Amino acid sequence: MKRKLTPRYIIIILVLVWAVYAIWPTVKYQNLSEDEIETMRDEGTLQDLESKIIKQGLDLKGGIYIVLEVDIPTLVSNLAINKDKRFEQALANVSTKIDVESQLDFFQVFQEEIDAAGLRIHRYFDVDFGGSLEEIIASLRDQADDAINRVLEILQNRVDQFGVSEPTIQKQGNRRIIVELAGIQDSERARDLLQSTALLEFVLIKSPELTNDMLLRIDKVIKGSEELADFTQTDEKEYIIDTPAPISEDKTISVSDLFGEQAAQAAADTSDTAVVVDQNLVENRPFSSLLRALGNDIGVPEKNLYIIKKILAMDDVQDKLNAANGQFLMSDAPESFTSIDGLQEKMYRMFYLEGESELTGGVVEKASATIGGTGSSASGQSIVLLDMNSEGARTWSRVTGGNIGRRVAIVLDKKVHMAPVIRSKISDGGTMIEGFANLDEAKDIAIVLRAGALPAPVNIIEERVVGPSLGADSVAKGTQSVLIGLALVLVFMIVYYRLFGIIANFALIWNIILLLAVLAMLDATLTLPGIAAIILTVGMSIDANVIIFERIREEQRKGKTPRAAIDAGYDRALTTIIDANVTTLVAALVLYQFGTGPIRGFATVLFWGIVISMFTAIFVTRTIFNTMTERKSLQKLSI
Amino acid sequence: MRLIKETDIKFMSQSRFAFFLSGAVILAGLISLFLQGGPRLSIDFKGGTLVAVQFIEDMDVNDVRQSMGAVSIEGRAHDYSRAEIKHFGSARDISVRLPILEDQPENFPQLIVNHLYDSFPTVVPADQNDFILSIDKVGPKIGAELSGKAVMAIVSALLLILIYISIRFEFKFAVGAIAALSHDVLITIGIFSIMDYEISLPIIAAFLTIVGYSLNDTIVILDRVRENVKSMKRISYSDMVDHSINDSLSRTIITSITTFLVVLILYLFGGEVIHYFAFAMMIGVVVGTYSSMYVACPIVVQLHKGIKS
Repeated sequence: MKRKLTPRYIIIILVLVWAVYAIWPTVKYQNLSEDEIETMRDEGTLQDLESKIIKQGLDLKGGIYIVLEVDIPTLVSNLAINKDKRFEQALANVSTKIDVESQLDFFQVFQEEIDAAGLRIHRYFDVDFGGSLEEIIASLRDQADDAINRVLEILQNRVDQFGVSEPTIQKQGNRRIIVELAGIQDSERARDLLQSTALLEFVLIKSPELTNDMLLRIDKVIKGSEELADFTQTDEKEYIIDTPAPISEDKTISVSDLFGEQAAQAAADTSDTAVVVDQNLVENRPFSSLLRALGNDIGVPEKNLYIIKKILAMDDVQDKLNAANGQFLMSDAPESFTSIDGLQEKMYRMFYLEGESELTGGVVEKASATIGGTGSSASGQSIVLLDMNSEGARTWSRVTGGNIGRRVAIVLDKKVHMAPVIRSKISDGGTMIEGFANLDEAKDIAIVLRAGALPAPVNIIEERVVGPSLGADSVAKGTQSVLIGLALVLVFMIVYYRLFGIIANFALIWNIILLLAVLAMLDATLTLPGIAAIILTVGMSIDANVIIFERIREEQRKGKTPRAAIDAGYDRALTTIIDANVTTLVAALVLYQFGTGPIRGFATVLFWGIVISMFTAIFVTRTIFNTMTERKSLQKLSI
Repeated sequence: MRLIKETDIKFMSQSRFAFFLSGAVILAGLISLFLQGGPRLSIDFKGGTLVAVQFIEDMDVNDVRQSMGAVSIEGRAHDYSRAEIKHFGSARDISVRLPILEDQPENFPQLIVNHLYDSFPTVVPADQNDFILSIDKVGPKIGAELSGKAVMAIVSALLLILIYISIRFEFKFAVGAIAALSHDVLITIGIFSIMDYEISLPIIAAFLTIVGYSLNDTIVILDRVRENVKSMKRISYSDMVDHSINDSLSRTIITSITTFLVVLILYLFGGEVIHYFAFAMMIGVVVGTYSSMYVACPIVVQLHKGIKS
């Protein structure tokens, strides 16, 4: 019986042509020099080429992978009005619950909690949200869905302006966003860019008298507080060394040191507590004694920052601040000061502000970063220039006009960037923000201001950064391992099976080419575990051929002619190969389903490696054998 | 060349000894797991921070540990000297692992990097970006989710395989195969625990690959059993199984050798990131090959006896 081999050859050649065509761009890309890449980028042909090559995962290229989660409890809290203790308590309970069991739905738990606490929810939400609990929850849910879509859009906008090639920003579920920035070096900058809520606020600063009065109230509230003692306790479990703001007797400062003579006078006038400047200061004024005077501002030594924040977050302190409609905020970065006794100390500035902002970043129409021109007050500094829309300009003009002589704080994400005194009415809406470490920072802030504020804060729940050197190292070592592994297997097969070994080796190399071609065509991403899977494929894909060869040997031992032995060997081996490989395919599919990023890369390669090895063993090597047995002279099989 | 001539090894009569051997290894692993309170999980599952940095000279872990004794975060000094600090691949590279801590600021990993960078100004690269090898920070939520997913993945893989084998072969084969691969994964987890290696995401991938590999091996043998059941009716079931294992022994050994070779290469040359994955695979290949012969087949024989009587 003359076998019809021609169609087989055609199929094999077609597949080979296709494989070469699919791999070609990758080979070409690998051999491009830096200059050539730049030229192609300028010509705009690079993107086209890049879309056809086998992509390298972040673990090989270096880059940042961040999973952000929209902070739904804060979003709901922001949407609520007339918030009271009971409401906030309920919300806090829900937050704790969903933190422990992440699969819980926030709104369902929230609804249950509201029910359980017997709160009348319509008191806390505008009538637009609906009247009944169900209606309000439904519209909150809509708001949350809308919020994540807006966050996605804004982040896309920011990343685009930041200038990253091929960023991936996608939604995962309905609360999360995955951002992948390949090739990015400065992880800190990228993180700030993504996470910044970009909430810009213009808030008036309260007078020194009111500030001092508030400090005294806080001192009174926390005096002898057990909670305060807790903050300064050593907690061994958390490996934290206790550093209770070390204040020695000789460092005690008077209120007049803090705020200048005038403020101290005012303090003495408005408060019935006499100004005590003695060794009991720390005890009597536990809050003020942590602070320093910085001209007209309050300084917070860096070492006291933690405890100051803790004190400000205490319920009793918050009550006092809410009652006075005020808030304390810090400057965005510490400054270095030399104290009278010559010691260097890093300090933040702290401001006592009105509780509500006069204007927010929503009115910003344009924002650009630049270096302040000579002659201006910000000469040589990095600054951001803002233009407001007409509505914003009107409000700003009214605010500045009505508060000449007062200070206004420009606050970004609850950090005070600057607090200038309003000298005159600003009517055109143009404003300048100072207080950036460098031009890059100013540029990033301009980007986030242009892209707009996030409707809800986002938390980073997972972050993975791979430095470029580790990525390059992984590629080098991975490639090396593949080559060594491949060489060893090739040699082993030739030694063990001789002629048949050559055929198996041909199949093996063919497998790898085909595997790479499939990866290129599928737009799959090659990760380090993916390289590991290629190596595994080298070792395991030989199996199909081994099963066949051993069968053929067996059949030959039974005295069959070469051709009959090959036919019988293939027929018997076929079901074995399929049954044995399907189970590994199942494992690969499950892995793909469950894994993210690198693990998916592994599963993809493993899956295709097995599929291709089955195809090669059953179809390609069979054709080679058949060609060989066509020749009548073949008397003995070299196996 | 033929390594394996026609053999006639009595696998089934050795299986009693094999059961003791397997039992002993599994028991040792379980004792280790029990003493350590479960497997040592990486930050992928527990949450936490892992920072790996590259110095330009070889570093002493103790120096790094000492410097981690006073890390200033928001002005507070923290003692992280009890963190897990070790070399990461080469002696120039250091990794620091910290659990999730209360009040940890968002840029915590960066602060740790900054601290290390500033603590050893003479032995760090000029550009801080060249200093960072990798940063991983996993929140508690993600960790819990990944653990759940990993368990789900392994369980669903086992179930699907059980179903497939029951359809293609017989249920008793499926039981034998599942027993063999559970045996393999148990031993691998046990050895990881004894070696004090941690279980991370890539290790879970390795477990699933071991499952796939072990099954592959088991099925090739069971396939032979399925075939020989028809042709060898005169000899006992147990002898027939022995015969089947011997028939496919040559293939079993060769595939194991090639796979082991490549995994060994990966272990030796693949680099730090893939090192433990390759280690798990090495154990898997050896144990997977063994279990096909000494765990899956004896169980099939036992079940067959049970069904007959």
